[in-house]
Amino acid sequence: MIETKDQEELFKLIANYLKRDIVCIAIGGTAMMFAGYKTATKDIDLVFKSEQDRQVFVKAIELLGYKERSLARIYDEKRRQHFHKPKIYTRGDERFDLFVKNVFGFELEFALDKITQRQDFLGKKEFNVYILPTEELILLKAITGRDRDYEDIETILMIEKNINWEHIISEAVKQKSSNPWILIDLEETLHKVKKIAFIPNKYFEMIYQTDEKN
Amino acid sequence: MEGKYTLETFAEELNLSRQSALNRLSRLKKQGYAQVSGGGKQKRIYTISKVPQLPTNGFYDLVNKYSPEKLVPKFKHRVIGKYTVEQAIIDGIKIGDVRTLAATEHLFRHINSWKQLFYLAKKHKVAEKIHQLYKQARAHTKTKTMPKRYRK
Repeated sequence: MIETKDQEELFKLIANYLKRDIVCIAIGGTAMMFAGYKTATKDIDLVFKSEQDRQVFVKAIELLGYKERSLARIYDEKRRQHFHKPKIYTRGDERFDLFVKNVFGFELEFALDKITQRQDFLGKKEFNVYILPTEELILLKAITGRDRDYEDIETILMIEKNINWEHIISEAVKQKSSNPWILIDLEETLHKVKKIAFIPNKYFEMIYQTDEKN
Repeated sequence: MEGKYTLETFAEELNLSRQSALNRLSRLKKQGYAQVSGGGKQKRIYTISKVPQLPTNGFYDLVNKYSPEKLVPKFKHRVIGKYTVEQAIIDGIKIGDVRTLAATEHLFRHINSWKQLFYLAKKHKVAEKIHQLYKQARAHTKTKTMPKRYRK
C-alpha cells in the first residue's frame, strides 16, 4: 500500500531518475488519491502517450529496484490476452500498472481541456501527471474488471452524488469500436451500482439501444 | 455540509457556540476539508468540501497573483518542486485561449531569466509564440526589455 504523501515523494524521486520530461495520465486508485477520494492505494495505474515514454519511466523505476511481474492473478484471461494490456512492475507492496495511450481498448486523450487536475513533479526532469474527471475514472474502473475497482466506484458514489451518467455512457459509446465489450462491462457494473446509487432506467435503455444498433 | 459558510452561519448550522465552531473549522482546515478566503478587513468565508482538497500552487495561482486579469482555473494545478514565471509563460501558451494569453502577458514583467525562458520555449517548440506574445505584452503592459540576443 502507498499513501498520498509517500506517492508524492515517490513521484518526485522518479522525476530525478528520468532521462527526459514525460507526461502521463493517472487512473484508478492514484487518480482517486489525487482527487481526495481515498488516502491509500495498492497499485499505481499510469497511462503514457507512447511506448517510448513508458520505456523512459520503466528505466527510472528499474533503477529504483522495481521488477517486472506477470499479469497472472491480477487480471482475468480476457484482459491478459488484450493487445493494450499493461506492464506491471513491483517492489515490495507497491505496484505500477503501466499502460500506453489505451486502457484495454479505451483510448485516452492527453489534452489540457480534458483534465480536471494536473500535478507537476519537478526534479532533474519534469514528470507531469494529469487527472481525469470523476465520470471517466468510474468508466475506466468499470472496464478493468478487478474486484477492488468496483469497491472504488462505490467509494466515489458514497461521496459524489451528482454523477453525470449520460457522459459516462456517451464516452463508452464513443469507444465501442476499439473496445467491443465496453458497453457489456459498463452495464454489468451499473447493475451492481444500482444497489447503492439511483440510476434512472433511461440510462440502461441508452446502452441497450446502442447495443442493438450495432 | 458542503458549501460556503461564515463563522456565524457555520455555528448556526451545527448549533455550536462561536468558539466551538472556530475549533471545528480549524480542524477541518488542517485536514484539507475547508479552504478559507478573506481575513483582515474582509469577513472570512470558509468553503467546505466533501473530499480533502490539496492546496494549488501552479499556473493559475501565479497568473492570478501577477495579472490584473484574473482567470478561473480550468483544472487544478499543483506543483511539487520549484515553479517559475518562465514555466508559467510556457504553460499559458500551451493552454492557449485568448483570456489565458492576455493574462500571461503580464508575467513578462516578472521574468528572472530570459535564458531559461528561451531554453523552455525551444524544448516545447513555442519560441515563435513567445515572440508574438512578448510583442503584444509590450503594446499593452509595462514590460521588461528582451535582451538583444533573444530578439528575432
